[in-house]
Amino acid sequence: MTDAARTTTAPLAEPAARPRTVALRPFGLDGARTGPISAVTGFLLIAMWFLVSHYRLVTPLFLPAPGEVAAQFIAILEDGYAGATLGEHVSASLLRILTAALIAASLGIPLGLAMGLNRWAKGVLDTPIEFYWPLPPLAYLPLMIIWLGIGEVSKIALLTLAMFAPICLSAQAGLRSLPIERVNAALSLGATRWQLFRAIVLPSALPEILTGLRIAIGVGWSTLVAAELIAATRGIGFMIMSASHFLATDVVFVGIGIIAAWAFAFSYGMHLLESWLVPWKGKT
Amino acid sequence: MLRVQNASVFFPGRDGGTIHALDRASLDIDANSIVVALGASGCGKSTLLNAIAGFLPLSDGSITLDGRPVERPGADRGVVFQKDTLLPWKSVLDNVALGLDFAGLPLRERRDRAAELLRLVGLEGFAKAAPHELSGGMRQRVGIARALATDPKILLMDEPFGALDSLTREQMQELLVDVWARTGKRIFFITHSIEEALFLGTTVVVMSPRPGRIVARFDLDFVRRFAAERDVRAILSDPEFGDLHNRIRDLVHRPHHAAVHRGETLQ
Ligand SMILES: Nc1ncnc2c1ncn2[C@@H]1O[C@H](COP(=O)(O)OP(=O)(O)OP(=O)(O)O)[C@@H](O)[C@H]1O
Ligand SMILES: [Mg+2]
Repeated sequence: MTDAARTTTAPLAEPAARPRTVALRPFGLDGARTGPISAVTGFLLIAMWFLVSHYRLVTPLFLPAPGEVAAQFIAILEDGYAGATLGEHVSASLLRILTAALIAASLGIPLGLAMGLNRWAKGVLDTPIEFYWPLPPLAYLPLMIIWLGIGEVSKIALLTLAMFAPICLSAQAGLRSLPIERVNAALSLGATRWQLFRAIVLPSALPEILTGLRIAIGVGWSTLVAAELIAATRGIGFMIMSASHFLATDVVFVGIGIIAAWAFAFSYGMHLLESWLVPWKGKT
Repeated sequence: MLRVQNASVFFPGRDGGTIHALDRASLDIDANSIVVALGASGCGKSTLLNAIAGFLPLSDGSITLDGRPVERPGADRGVVFQKDTLLPWKSVLDNVALGLDFAGLPLRERRDRAAELLRLVGLEGFAKAAPHELSGGMRQRVGIARALATDPKILLMDEPFGALDSLTREQMQELLVDVWARTGKRIFFITHSIEEALFLGTTVVVMSPRPGRIVARFDLDFVRRFAAERDVRAILSDPEFGDLHNRIRDLVHRPHHAAVHRGETLQ
């Protein structure tokens, strides 16, 4: 009987010099490294492109050789295309999307938050937003051009409208996800309404808002290029369009490459913004 | 003094009916006391606490703190929640300092005060940690420190240790007694553990199942004894402790019989 109550201390093994660190088994990917796989895939795709054009499996009119595209890129870089330098085309596009993103965010975030907090704001703004946001932006582009002319204003207005809805909706979703206990905790610590908003409501909604911003920028790029295809004299979309009139497939490729590079840079920028602003995301 | 008088709460039920969650509860919480509300799940304990905190208006009755009616949440009543409500984007230190930030204290001062409170709850080494890096018990300690930071007149605790294992729970109970002995705060504490209630309460009120009604009140001195002698075993093995444990268990489990005990008082 005393055996059962005897206390024993097992000798502990000396810890290894560099212990093996572990972490919770994740569900899904949870930050597992995919970079090398993606790099190899990209490399293979380019290699296939080289092979296909080298053996002339597809006519160059449809698929120009990588070398041609590179040469065309340098030529455009040096001489410009369709009456403007490459820099002018790129900056025209960037200016449009950035201006529109700025306007859409500075309207969408406060209005979305207001719609989550105030019955009147929600009631009044819901009608126009629910009406216009399922529409494809190109459906009302002609209207924008009739109202605002062919210049920058109509394109920026179009982009702003396209980007506003996802930002505004995500700000509302951010408010809906705010747990009431968090609000009550802050109130019982003496928060005023404004302090509650600044210290609790806004940071709690921030992850959703950033997700909305990300979606908005995606929508922004597709709307931008489409708008430039239809009505512009500058911009990457315009460059692609005028190249296609002359069946200059290599220029089309250059344009697509530039758009892809910028869209990637934007999405990476958003990623950095997220890890800077909401490092706690998914850790509660 | 915090005084609850004839507090009743009705919630809207389904099909236009009402749910009677709290029935004419009356309660006084004096300086230097720990009042523990004990009752089965769903009997209205949180409802009572939410009303005292100002999160929930009463259907009937009144709550006053030092003579002033309680209408809204405020820094004079610190709340420790069952679920942890720390802000994930703030460090442990800044979480503790949150109420001081709201009060407009300068950064240096609030950090100093928060660091002092972290010491009080035994977490001085974790000031810079993020809340998700702490265990449940540690987070709850941060919650207590945060609620104490604004120097409230009363601490309201809704099953703060309910989610903890029994060892941590005992440690936290002793910690709470320490904090209480040192700060002299009044505490309103909710639990459904009879043992916890007996160990912590200077007063234990037993609530009946819905509609929640205070059916018995016991004035105890175990916690004062523990604060003075720090001998848990002497208290747990005190025959009076076991006796009360049994009587309260009967009360909690047999609500109809309980009505007979209403107003019961032991010194
Ligand atoms: N918002 C609400 N709407 C309707 N009924 C509610 C609401 N909140 C609580 N109740 C009901 O009121 C009763 C008391 O709830 P309360 O949360 O106060 O119980 P409790 O004693 O804290 O229980 P537990 O120990 O499980 O936390 C419960 O029966 C519950 O169903
Ligand atoms: Mg409860």
